[in-house]
Amino acid sequence: MHISPKRELKRSSLGRVGIVLIVLVLILAIFAPLLVRYEPSGQTASAFESPSLEHWLGTNHVGQDIWSQLAYGARTSLLVGFSVAVFSVLLSALIGASAALVGDRYDRIVMRIVDALIVIPVVIVLVLLAAYIKPGIGYIIVILSLLGWQFGARVVRAQTLVLKEEMHVAAAKSFGASNFYLIFRHIIPDLGPILLVQFVYAARRAIFMEAGLAFLGIADPSIISWGMMMHDALGFCYLDVWRWCLIPPGVALSLTVLSITFIGHAFEPVLDPRLRGEAGA
Amino acid sequence: MLKGILKRTVVIGLVLFLVLGGVLIAGCTDEVDEDTPQGQATSSPVLGDSEEARSTPTAVATVDEKPAPSQPVSYTIADSTGDWGYPSPYTHYSRGPGYIRMSFVFDTLVWKDEMGKFVPALAEEWQYLEDENAYVFKLRDNVTWHDGEKFTAEDVAFTVEYVKEHPMPFTTLIGPSGIRETEIIDDYTIKISLEQLYAPFLNDIAGTLVMLPQHIWEEVVVPEEFTDAKAVVGTGPYMLVDYSKEHGTYLYKAFPDYYLGKPAVEELKLVKIGEQMIPAALKEGSVDYGGVSPDIVGEMEKEGFAVVMAPRGWNAKLTINHNKEPLSTREFRQALAYAIDRDGLVEITQRGHGAAGSAGMIPPDSEWYNPNIEQYAYNPEKARELLEGMGYQLEDGWFVKDGEPLELELLTQSRYGFVEVGEFIQQQLESIGIKIELRCLEGKSLDSRVDAWDFDLSVYGHGGLYEPSILNKVITGSGFNSARYEKNEILNQLLEEQRQEMNPVKRKELVQQIQAVYADVLPALTLYYPNWYSAHNSRVAIFYTPGGVASGIPIALNKLAFMQCEDK
Repeated sequence: MHISPKRELKRSSLGRVGIVLIVLVLILAIFAPLLVRYEPSGQTASAFESPSLEHWLGTNHVGQDIWSQLAYGARTSLLVGFSVAVFSVLLSALIGASAALVGDRYDRIVMRIVDALIVIPVVIVLVLLAAYIKPGIGYIIVILSLLGWQFGARVVRAQTLVLKEEMHVAAAKSFGASNFYLIFRHIIPDLGPILLVQFVYAARRAIFMEAGLAFLGIADPSIISWGMMMHDALGFCYLDVWRWCLIPPGVALSLTVLSITFIGHAFEPVLDPRLRGEAGA
Repeated sequence: MLKGILKRTVVIGLVLFLVLGGVLIAGCTDEVDEDTPQGQATSSPVLGDSEEARSTPTAVATVDEKPAPSQPVSYTIADSTGDWGYPSPYTHYSRGPGYIRMSFVFDTLVWKDEMGKFVPALAEEWQYLEDENAYVFKLRDNVTWHDGEKFTAEDVAFTVEYVKEHPMPFTTLIGPSGIRETEIIDDYTIKISLEQLYAPFLNDIAGTLVMLPQHIWEEVVVPEEFTDAKAVVGTGPYMLVDYSKEHGTYLYKAFPDYYLGKPAVEELKLVKIGEQMIPAALKEGSVDYGGVSPDIVGEMEKEGFAVVMAPRGWNAKLTINHNKEPLSTREFRQALAYAIDRDGLVEITQRGHGAAGSAGMIPPDSEWYNPNIEQYAYNPEKARELLEGMGYQLEDGWFVKDGEPLELELLTQSRYGFVEVGEFIQQQLESIGIKIELRCLEGKSLDSRVDAWDFDLSVYGHGGLYEPSILNKVITGSGFNSARYEKNEILNQLLEEQRQEMNPVKRKELVQQIQAVYADVLPALTLYYPNWYSAHNSRVAIFYTPGGVASGIPIALNKLAFMQCEDK
């Protein structure tokens, strides 16, 4: 493989914008305790305040500081996004690569499961599950990971089928390397760039899903989350104050998803090298 | 080339961004799910109801007569909850809003007016015979059913027998509060003998049990499935013209031969409109009445709408597992009461729209309220002292006993704004040193965990605080709404006595004593009573019935209001 994701990112100015944005969100999340003056869940009697020096973005319906909530909400979003991306990419790599290497009946069964999972509307399954268990962060991560690996698995399998025929892999195999060894020693390292792209897509999906679940009011409402903030704000849309509560999490979520989309867009040549020629011209 | 792609993508990105933002803002006009805090104004649960009997009638009944050609006086009621079942006594959903929709069509023996006083409905006069423990009702002789048949004492006797065999979901007639027998004295006089002394008989039975026409219902074997047009033949001021389960709409028209005269409002419509949209619909003039959130009351009054507040009869409370150490200790429960600032709770989580809970459960604006009981005014110091008296010691800000940290699990749910209440209590208890694990559950799982005593603390709520018989149901009664506290003999005895005390003055004394004992042992802690409001243009003088409609429904739609209308 001669495609370096780093180089692709450098070539694309959109990718650079994405990186800057996501780094900003990361800083917000990591340094949240230093950046805010109030406990995000600290209720006060000053509800629905407009932005001021005291409360930079105003307060919500129970007097919680919106800026604090926004900063801590970034933690939730990024934690869910990152963890789900890690787990689902791992699942994709293991399942996709093993299907390609083992082949035969195992391959057919696994790929039919993938087909089934792709057809099942994930959102509906999530909503059904979530409505019953009111998932906390851990549950959300597990559910989203279990329902999010199928797209990656397909790509990985296809790529592995190609890699399998490459000289060095074939050579290792002829020396008696096991499938397990092949996956970890040769296939996964060579799949690097593709997995990275899958990682970006999975993260974007997870962040959006988490916010969506919270927005629908079916995740654990005691988690501070951008979706939950929007959910709460919309409950008061007959008052004029709701905009102060709604816009910050809306913009933050849009920017985060957008930045990941930009990064993903910059990586696209990795998946489809034909794009490179055109872009590089 | 690169530039072209770049430009295109930036434009697409920007458009996406704007569309997203636009959707977010436009989303405001959409109806949000009913579990938001404001949902409570119209969907308040009424205690004492069994599970909603969600039988689903498919038939849409129409009454044979055609509406008059001239424009009738019409009144539109907006409600965010919509469908409450076919408005027949056995098929409406067994909660307050369902009963209200049925009460337009069916009448009871007595009814409550705007002062909360019992006034004649189907019965003109009534009398309690102390030595026989029986009521004699003198019925009106000018009442006809919607199909033209005469209403007589036979129908009353039939209804009582029928309901004994087929318990009506909303009305209790079985057990100690029941009717032993009926005796028809003449066509328009009937004597009803009770099984036991039962103080709230007029409220719970004579004023809640609707009368059924014998000539129709004597052939009905499965009343829950009886949903044809005859199932809505009553004696009430309105006849059902149309009902749509899907849209949650009801259309009634006035019954011209109603015994109090034809209602001034000739056409009554109930339509489903999201809570957030009701203020806009009122201003636009498309509806005449609707429940509104407390936050918008000031604005509605400024716009010239009349706003009425429901008498407080619903309470949010902290349910305590008093079977489990350390919550089984009275002093521990008292410490919890001292540690939770209930005034602050109302100020913050309800934005001041409510009243702080009384430790005796009965709200301060009730005639049954006892002002001389221990109220556990907010005092974190006192709470710590009590805990230290029980052997707990503060270590690094947290209470510890025998090396074990003091940690409790607090359950809450997303309905009724209870998440914020749970968070508030968590902060308060943690600030005195009790570690709280807050968990938010879906309503039904919470109910089942509380029911199985699988909890420490739980945020809960129920209504029905108008009539003291509720105390028996929620202190010693069964089910998850009740504290199920039977360890105090004095309390048990007082509860039994007040239910059987027919003298109102003596009964009030007993109810006050109950509050004092309850506040002392604290089987549960009442947190607050929310304010509920309805706004209307003043065409009809809408009122909340003190003590609630029928057995205590906190909804402003008393059918007597529609007898008069400004237009006429």
